[in-house]
Amino acid sequence: MNERAGERGADPGPPGGDAFLTVTDLHAGYGEARVLHGVNLTVGRGEICAILGPNGAGKTTLLRALSGMVRVRGAVRLDGADLTRRPPDAVARRGVAHVPEGRGTFMPLTVEENLRLGAFVRRGRGEVEADLERIHGYFPVLRERLRQPAGSLSGGEQQMLAIGRALMLRPRLLLLDEPSLGLAPIVTRELFRIVQTINEQERTTVVVVEQNAHLALDVAGRAHVLETGRIVLSGSAERIRADEQVAQSYLGYRV
Amino acid sequence: MAGFLQQIIEGLGAGAIYASLALALVLIYQFTGIVNFAQGEMAMFSTYIAWQFTAGGMPFWLALVLTLAVSFAGGMLIERVLIRPVEGAHELTVVIVSVGLFIFVNAAAGWIWTFLIKDFPNPFPGGAIEAGGLTVGFSTLGILLVVGAVMGLLYLLFQHTKIGLGMRAVATNPESARLVGIRVGWTLALGWGLAATVGAVSGILVAPLLFLEPNMMSGVLIYAFAAATLGGFDSPAGAVAGGLIVGVAETLAGAYAGFIGSDLKIGVPLVIILGVLLVRPQGLFGRAAVERV
Repeated sequence: MNERAGERGADPGPPGGDAFLTVTDLHAGYGEARVLHGVNLTVGRGEICAILGPNGAGKTTLLRALSGMVRVRGAVRLDGADLTRRPPDAVARRGVAHVPEGRGTFMPLTVEENLRLGAFVRRGRGEVEADLERIHGYFPVLRERLRQPAGSLSGGEQQMLAIGRALMLRPRLLLLDEPSLGLAPIVTRELFRIVQTINEQERTTVVVVEQNAHLALDVAGRAHVLETGRIVLSGSAERIRADEQVAQSYLGYRV
Repeated sequence: MAGFLQQIIEGLGAGAIYASLALALVLIYQFTGIVNFAQGEMAMFSTYIAWQFTAGGMPFWLALVLTLAVSFAGGMLIERVLIRPVEGAHELTVVIVSVGLFIFVNAAAGWIWTFLIKDFPNPFPGGAIEAGGLTVGFSTLGILLVVGAVMGLLYLLFQHTKIGLGMRAVATNPESARLVGIRVGWTLALGWGLAATVGAVSGILVAPLLFLEPNMMSGVLIYAFAAATLGGFDSPAGAVAGGLIVGVAETLAGAYAGFIGSDLKIGVPLVIILGVLLVRPQGLFGRAAVERV
């Protein structure tokens, strides 16, 4: 493992060297249980970056560490500003929107209230109204359900709502945790297509954690493979896809 | 028939007081998932503060406003100092803290103001409106108006303000609320402040009917528990409805079930609590808790 990490794991950084998010020697865990053991990675401005890895590798913890939900050691810098050990509300104010595992829906609240909560830290009423329209453009189904309790939506609609809620922040960095979880393949493909559109139209940098490596590599520019709390492989999506061990472990075929 | 309606009106007056204390219980339960056994004592302490103001010659309504402000700050302070350190601890730990707070506030009131009963000024005039054979005391009417106004303000706060939306978000999904940038810790403190304020209203309204002394709220608290259980601990509207129903049931039972009379009335809320827990544990308006196993 270490040998592999030493051999191929070093992150060459995004092409052009324009690092938007820089994570340096990040350690994190829950109480005694340590999950991340010195993660290093960079994400370029405006790119979609996929984090792949098996169950329990620490993918979710990595996202939670980025948004201030767990205690960390190390450094997280976003566009030059230090985010390390800032509480989640401060991180959100810095423009980081996190769609958590399980979607984080406010079930009894209406769809509209869920969306408005996404803009909680923003000021400027007019802009927020305009953004509601913008999100209806991406997810027309949400407009039809504005007054319904969010808990009454299907799984796919709830995931759309979760992404819509995140977009209401006008995020500079969008963190997506397993958007495909529990969804039909066709719904997942549609979601990833929309994420790609958002990335292209709004230049939002996206970090997506995904077990479905095929899908993630289709939309991502670069990817990192996380195993037992360490990045063991980083590179362009094509390079990761071509890697023999990734192919065996996550894509289900030999190159 | 007129006698029956008369009893219902009396019951609603009492019920409005239970409703406001029940609402205080539900507010805290929604935010922190704990039943605050000290809610009644906090209300009693607030009532003493109001008494102190009026005893100093201050007009009643000014004293009321000041007391509510002090109660709000006090509620937030309790959350910050006492509840925050046990946040996320075992439920029993938090319950013990609230029981400890109960004993502490009770003793503090006795120490400051002694256990001798005090007369609390009635803010409403003594007369009554008579219409169609019914007599509605200004006192009952006043209680209903004040409690109605408090409920209306809370409704506006929760449904039509950004802070209210944030508070509801915290009550439903604190983790997700943190991710959208809400300061959950302060929101919880705000919830305690609001609960202390609403509770104070119940204490101040009930004090002229009873006498002011440190154990004044113990009976009211039991009625409020019955109301919250009946309406559902996770439903503010349910707490209000539950309070009114309990008030009416208590009055009717006292008037019509001869063997109950005024001595056994306190048994009514206990029977209601037991009945609801047996038949519909989530209450009339509550959502059944579903647990994945």
